[in-house]
Amino acid sequence: MSTLRTTDVWPTDITLNPAKDILTIAFDDGQTFELAAEYLRVCSPSAEVQGHSPDQRKTVGGKKSVQIMTIEPVGNYAVRLGFDDMHNTGIFSWQYLHEMGMERDERWATYLAELEEKGLSRE
Amino acid sequence: MTKDDVLNALKRVKGPDLDGNIVELGLVSEVVIANRKVYFSITVPPERAEQLEPLRKAAEQVVSDLDGVDHVGVVLTADAPTGQAAKPAAPAATPKPKAPAGGPGGGGQSAGVPGVKHIIAVASGKGGVGKSTTSVNLALALQANGLKVGVLDADIYGPSMPRLLGISGRPQQAHGNVLSPMEGYGLKCMSMGFLVDEGTPVVWRGPMVISALTQMLREVAWGELDVLVVDMPPGTGDAQLTMAQQVPLAGAIIVSTPQDLALIDARKGLNMFRQVDVPVLGIIENMSYFLCPSCGERSNIFGHGGAKNEADKLGIPFLGEIPLHMDIRETSDAGQPVVASAPNSEHTSIYRAIAEKAWSSIGSSGAKAAPSINIQ
Repeated sequence: MSTLRTTDVWPTDITLNPAKDILTIAFDDGQTFELAAEYLRVCSPSAEVQGHSPDQRKTVGGKKSVQIMTIEPVGNYAVRLGFDDMHNTGIFSWQYLHEMGMERDERWATYLAELEEKGLSRE
Repeated sequence: MTKDDVLNALKRVKGPDLDGNIVELGLVSEVVIANRKVYFSITVPPERAEQLEPLRKAAEQVVSDLDGVDHVGVVLTADAPTGQAAKPAAPAATPKPKAPAGGPGGGGQSAGVPGVKHIIAVASGKGGVGKSTTSVNLALALQANGLKVGVLDADIYGPSMPRLLGISGRPQQAHGNVLSPMEGYGLKCMSMGFLVDEGTPVVWRGPMVISALTQMLREVAWGELDVLVVDMPPGTGDAQLTMAQQVPLAGAIIVSTPQDLALIDARKGLNMFRQVDVPVLGIIENMSYFLCPSCGERSNIFGHGGAKNEADKLGIPFLGEIPLHMDIRETSDAGQPVVASAPNSEHTSIYRAIAEKAWSSIGSSGAKAAPSINIQ
């Protein structure tokens, strides 16, 4: 009864590598995404990053070597990631993780462009 | 460099009152070492956090002097004393233990409630649609269908389960912080109504509500239950979100009257559950039609079929319609819900049919298993 859900994507496995900088998420639609901790950190859905409207969104620089420290399940629908810069307020829903995987190249390019525009760096 | 090296170094840092050291005072959290980076936190009283910044610096310094350390991350965490935030009537409001900073993540916090197989929420978009009456009869019907059932009255502001189940008195402490649930008609029950007097309003801010809900859910010796029915407060607020985030709900049931206005609100409730990925098991139409107690004539006071149409439109199951009938109202108010007091009545068979539908859709609701989280 898939009609009961709006989320059609559902992860089966979420794996953090030993270096703690790549999160691998396998979805039940057969896709597997490897998302870098830096990418997850700078695109965190937290209001600290996204603000409360698009014009409040912050571009976060200097997260090249950020690592993921904790992964906590939230309800049925998300995980909360804790990063080693003590950012832990981002709740990543399955849907959001899937989008981040599907749109990685565009989103990453946008991020790099924003960094440049604002004179920030990844370092 | 090992954790012991770090802890040994930290023993050189004195405690907040300059006696002992922070390790022996038990203020240092789990130490995490990864790739020549060291992380830990130091617990301090919240009101002294600013003043104790030098302590944090000192701790950072002694660890960064160790061989093989490139980076040290130290944070001060404030630990409110147990019970500080509690109202006298409520069980001690222990702040939810923070996940250990940087401990090997995952698990714990939002896992299910031990012993409880399925948790379903009964919700409505607005008040006054008979949600609590429906919850209690639904719970009794699930029990009549052979399941072990508990009821959690999450309607903190307007608890009604004590009255509906005719239970009075206060829950006893089982062990430690854990309370034994009360029992009525074989249902295990926990409600804020047991902890405050009926006439006393609960005047609480959101965080208190969240803490109370978490306790009523987790610090109660529920025992083995097939299903825990949660009577949600009306609306789409803190309590609903807390439930959705703290426990993997097996599903939600929406109660609505056939009226258009109520249905608009029901849709909001529904969309809220969709947003947090809680499967909606279906809609129940309450006060569906009026059965005249004297002549038996059926009148569709609020219109008819609204909820069924809505359910069809939204693509969710329609679980059934419950008439507006004196017996249901009177028995509920008297603390003898109709399913318990008149097990062979027509109303009971309606509730039992709804319970059966709801139960079968738990199995097939596509409540997919949580992903496995592995930290290598």
